[in-house]
Amino acid sequence: MAHATLFIQCIVDGMYPEVGEAMVRLFQRLGITMDYPENQTCCGQPSFNSGYRKEAAKAAKHYIETFENAGTIVCPSGSCVSMIRNHYPELFEDEPGWRERAERVGKRTFELTEYLVDVLGFKNTGAYFNGKVTYHDSCHLNRYLGVSSQPRELICRVAGLTFVEMEASDKCCGFGGAFSTKYPDISTALVKEKVQNILDSGADAVVGCDMGCLMNIQGYLNRHNYPVRVMHIAQLLAGVKGDAA
Amino acid sequence: MPIHTNETQFIHDIRAALGIRANNSDARQKEIFTDPAQPPEAQQMLLDTICARQHSDRMDLLDRLSREAVPLNLKVIPMKNEAEAAKAIAGLVADTTPEWGDKKSVVQWDHPMIKALALDSALKDQNVPVYTAAFDGSETSHNQKNLKRDQIREQVTASYIGVTSADFCLADTATLVMRSRPAEARSVSLLPSIHVAVIRKEQILSDMKELYALLKFDPDTRGKGLPHHMVMISGPSKTADIELVMVHGAHGPRALYLYVITGE
Amino acid sequence: MSDEILTDKYVENSTRAIEDDILQGALGKIQSGLAKATQASYRQLDEGPELRMTAHDIREKTINNLDVVLTQLAAKVRENGGKVYFAKTAEQAVAYTLDVARQFKVKQVVKGKSMVSEEIGLNPALEAQGIEVNETDLGEYIIQVAGEKPSHIIAPAIHKTREQVGRLFAEHLGVPYTDDPPELTRIARKALRDKFLQADMGISGCNLACAETGHMTVVSNEGNIRMSTTLPRVHVAIMGMERVVANLEDHDILFRLLSRGAAAQKLGGCVSYIGGPGGPDFPDGPEAFHLVILDNGRSRILADPKFREILYCIRCSACLNACPVYGKIGGHAYGATYCGPIGAVLTPLMVGMNKAKDLCLGETLCGACRQACSVNIDLPRMLLELRYRLAYGDDDWQTKQVSPLEKTIHQAWAFLAGHPALYRAFLKAGAMGQKVFPKYRGMIRKMPGPVAGWTRDRDIQPLAHTPFRERFKTLSSKKVR
Repeated sequence: MAHATLFIQCIVDGMYPEVGEAMVRLFQRLGITMDYPENQTCCGQPSFNSGYRKEAAKAAKHYIETFENAGTIVCPSGSCVSMIRNHYPELFEDEPGWRERAERVGKRTFELTEYLVDVLGFKNTGAYFNGKVTYHDSCHLNRYLGVSSQPRELICRVAGLTFVEMEASDKCCGFGGAFSTKYPDISTALVKEKVQNILDSGADAVVGCDMGCLMNIQGYLNRHNYPVRVMHIAQLLAGVKGDAA
Repeated sequence: MPIHTNETQFIHDIRAALGIRANNSDARQKEIFTDPAQPPEAQQMLLDTICARQHSDRMDLLDRLSREAVPLNLKVIPMKNEAEAAKAIAGLVADTTPEWGDKKSVVQWDHPMIKALALDSALKDQNVPVYTAAFDGSETSHNQKNLKRDQIREQVTASYIGVTSADFCLADTATLVMRSRPAEARSVSLLPSIHVAVIRKEQILSDMKELYALLKFDPDTRGKGLPHHMVMISGPSKTADIELVMVHGAHGPRALYLYVITGE
Repeated sequence: MSDEILTDKYVENSTRAIEDDILQGALGKIQSGLAKATQASYRQLDEGPELRMTAHDIREKTINNLDVVLTQLAAKVRENGGKVYFAKTAEQAVAYTLDVARQFKVKQVVKGKSMVSEEIGLNPALEAQGIEVNETDLGEYIIQVAGEKPSHIIAPAIHKTREQVGRLFAEHLGVPYTDDPPELTRIARKALRDKFLQADMGISGCNLACAETGHMTVVSNEGNIRMSTTLPRVHVAIMGMERVVANLEDHDILFRLLSRGAAAQKLGGCVSYIGGPGGPDFPDGPEAFHLVILDNGRSRILADPKFREILYCIRCSACLNACPVYGKIGGHAYGATYCGPIGAVLTPLMVGMNKAKDLCLGETLCGACRQACSVNIDLPRMLLELRYRLAYGDDDWQTKQVSPLEKTIHQAWAFLAGHPALYRAFLKAGAMGQKVFPKYRGMIRKMPGPVAGWTRDRDIQPLAHTPFRERFKTLSSKKVR
């Protein structure tokens, strides 16, 4: 019986709790038991990306302390998992004890789709969605974690769904964290192109694994009244036949 | 012009940047620079492959060369022997016109294979002069050499076809490799609008890796040395600098004809 | 740098570039074609794309022993009859070149494309001495006629349309107007042939020198570098000190990768190995060859172990062709000689991290550059490293903290992240406070302050009234559907 400890990152916890809820429903349906350490906060990525490593290290230490006794940690965010797995060790270059602890917990932290496909061997989750779906490859998940086939394996097996690849699915959407507010012209130019590719694909919904990207895409779609739905893959996979549209 | 080259201080600064205190340059030199007398296995295999090449392998290479040449606008023409090649070149001269002006002349290397073409007689009935861009041995003084250089320059500039051989030809990239020698002037394959090259099929190698293996690890090739200049030409020049539109013929020859003597 | 540095105009220049439809079209063309073709060309290598990792190791070893390698290169070039000058600064490199020009009574120069010559501001210095400088790479020639700077390492005039070039040539060369690229190329071919034949000096950069044999190599598809380095009486080559390999077999690997990274080619059209002049027995070619090896801040980069890797770069420009940010803002927005991802790391290290901060902060860290790099350089790592130095300041690099206020905000966030009860309370307060902002279809339309940049063009999701953490208990006790 699989058991997962949930790390629900700040964007989902604070802004898109329904994505977390979807993940819980999905795990319940798949028979995965869960626990949720209530003291979890932020993985420290925003500080790290802006260069504030000492501050990021503080957040990292909190994560390590919160999760290091967990067996398997699952998080619905490629960028957070990339932070934990790829960057936590370098935050503790001068603290070998912490570095070891960081490496250990990093090995046990997984992004949602890599957990389902690589760890548990699930491909068909029994989900249902009526419509055309396209997929956005988030940069950190794709290039820093090497995860790109797993989400597609899951999406393609959703009953009722037609999968369409968009042009340049792996091109950056322009989020880049603080970049999106500090360099808005460039960020907007990039998300505009991403949205155009989504529209050109003919999809009813765009699915992704990182809420940062999806928030950026959704923000542009909403402002321009485009009728494309934005879903985190947890929400897509949580859906079953009989759900309200 | 005696000039202080700054080398000592410059190298010292690099050492300081690298944090190197010890005077271990000799040891590191041995470690970094590989020994040409000790080819690694992969390189030795390349040399063995080249040595063991048979006629049919060489014809395969020629096929490959011909295919790779197409998108590069290089024309590869197999010829039985030098006489056939000379006839073909004469035909080329008859069929083409100069890019600048209307006076036709041809310039060539002082090279055994080119001499064997006997181009001056092949082009005699078309009244096309053939110049050899090399010292003829009569130039002894500095001044005489300079005068001859000026003359060569004039002739190469005025000629619309330049005829050379080459050291090697790489099939994979359709590349002609030419090491510079006094009798093999650089500008013959550069200034004229049409470059004609004549080689034997035995000179065709597979690719860059084979060329470098020979240059580095083959005692014979290495013995001949890498002179002060070598050029590798893969087809006539081209550019895509305007809107990424590919245009063939930028500077130097606009057309390149490679005659390969096959013996059949 | 002797060039005018406009790195602090990154934001406004980016905005201008984004609004330039012609530039956007040109950048789109370059990226959609070349980026995929380059990746394919790596896969088609006999050794596979892993050759990039091998190349990385070769470059690492070379750079870590640069003193020995350069010493050997200089010795061998001198054996070949060439002269070698080590220029610590841009000024020294320029002064030496001017000296050589004086010695050879140079009135006209023909130049191959050379970013390093832009870096040291060579053209204006030559022109100030009354020497005519002719750029011979077609793209460089076009922008020279236009009086502009290059916008791409390999295709400097990519931002110009054929109509613009046609008008330019008609106005400056007195030829009838045409916008046909082959015809325009023919016009340049004719104009430059005379320059090649008349020039006294040829100047080139250096793609990659080989220390073992004592040659520098230059490559072009146009043949202009070969012309510039064969016909004039003297050839001066300027080389960044890191542009060298030790052994011939290293050169093979790096050169094959350079050709693929630059233009998805197996090999550039025309490659010249030059180590010295021919000497009295040769009927043509220059009578003198001078190699100028340039430091100009590179040894300082070398000394910083975190940034040393940027010196592995062989300037293929594959990163430019893959970078989504470059693809929107073009080369000029970077305001300095080196643009694109390589420029985003190199320029702050050369002109100052504060002065060029926008170059390393104004990137999304998407990682496409590292994937495209022919030598597998970890550019994102160094961008993050630059941000780290800017965050806290760095005395070694004369860098001041970029924003003490921002640091305070992150300190506060780190504090909250370590104190869960306060973290929860803070988010709760934020969710309440957000109620003042007008919503449309559930999203906020406008927010002030730092988030205004976002809400100008995009809606933003508000903080949830009930965060996930408060919902878990209820969820987990619900029955499975």
